[in-house]
Amino acid sequence: MPPERAAAWEALPVDSEVRTTEEQAREGAMEGVLAVAGQVGFRAASVRAILDYSGGHRRQFYELFASKEDCFEQAYSAWLARVGSAVLEAAVAAPTWAASIQAGLVALFEFVAGRPEIARALFIEVQVAGGGALAEHERTIERIAAALDGVRERIDPDQAPPASTGLFVVGGIEASVCDALTAGDPSRVWDALPELMHLTVGSYLTTADAEAAFEEAKQLLARRGGEAE
Amino acid sequence: MTHLRLVEEPADGPFREAPLPQRLPHGRHGIPRSVVHDHQRLRLLAGMAKALAEHGYAGVTTTNVSKCAGISSGTYYKHFGNLWDCLLAAYVTTAERLCAEIEAACAERDPGTPPLRAGIDAALELCAAEPASALLLSTHPPMEAVAVSTARRQLIARLAAMLRAARDPEQPPSRPPGLDERMIDAALAFVGAQVTAGRAAHLPALSPELTAILRP
Repeated sequence: MPPERAAAWEALPVDSEVRTTEEQAREGAMEGVLAVAGQVGFRAASVRAILDYSGGHRRQFYELFASKEDCFEQAYSAWLARVGSAVLEAAVAAPTWAASIQAGLVALFEFVAGRPEIARALFIEVQVAGGGALAEHERTIERIAAALDGVRERIDPDQAPPASTGLFVVGGIEASVCDALTAGDPSRVWDALPELMHLTVGSYLTTADAEAAFEEAKQLLARRGGEAE
Repeated sequence: MTHLRLVEEPADGPFREAPLPQRLPHGRHGIPRSVVHDHQRLRLLAGMAKALAEHGYAGVTTTNVSKCAGISSGTYYKHFGNLWDCLLAAYVTTAERLCAEIEAACAERDPGTPPLRAGIDAALELCAAEPASALLLSTHPPMEAVAVSTARRQLIARLAAMLRAARDPEQPPSRPPGLDERMIDAALAFVGAQVTAGRAAHLPALSPELTAILRP
């Protein structure tokens, strides 16, 4: 991946508006809890470690959040909205359904490769944190599955894939992200792009469509590899 | 010491008859020490899945694993060095059992039932009967449990090989390498989501759908 694309995610938490000290502290702690959880695991992520990352004081942390769990839940929600916006923005700009899937995956993978510690928190440590964050995670999976299912309008009902297809495909995408993150090499997530395009498109459309999407993804990776060099 | 192994268990493998083995009698019972040791270990492995289902990765501890197994913490540490050792052993044992169930179902299937359908039926029935085991196998472990991630990848590779073997042999193998592993990963995630949503009992009814998705 070209390095400037990853850098775009480094800058993401800082918006251009003038913010109060309290807002900055809240934002910093929310990034901190995800970054630390992504580095050492949610169980081992202490408030001290979060503050070491973000700056600020323990008293201020507890004025803003009821607990580490509360901070994680709020951070999860805020970052999920950010990543979701980036993915959606990329997807809606694409000319076809298959192209929008690819564009959405590319935006997601740029985030995963650019901010792997935050991605680990959002995709893996959320299972450990549980609570409201995990519930939001599950709702999001269902929303994305429903969005994928939008293509059914253009499929002959006799050829329609099983009702569970959307959840199956989203599970496959999430699992591939988790695999790359747990393997300790987040950039490996890019290797999954052609196969995930084949899996997604092939689950809804024809084998020929899936093979075309697979080839298109391989060509995209080749172009990006060339740009990076 | 945890033995990492993903090979077939005998048909009467660990907790095939009962997910959580019954306690042995207290006091002087004349049962050989090795039998007691193996029995305690099986109870701890079953206790791990149960504790994980009850407390999640956030709250699971050696104490609540011991409690779920009905075994003292002192005895726990005679079997496992820490929480993750026990998790790994539970994962590998459950994975072996899942594979054995699928292989047995494929081997013993009615001639009119395709092997893919027989295998998926068997897998979903096991997951429905033992939601805690299904969650253990399907949930991505936290980063402290690196060895479990490795065991998970081994299970996926093995299930993908079984999937390839179970498909219609007359279909041309025009699939990109690695796609079947992605599909198994997706199937595990799908099963995990169903169990988390409290729909474990509904899993066997999804067998036709999952077969249709995995068949192409």
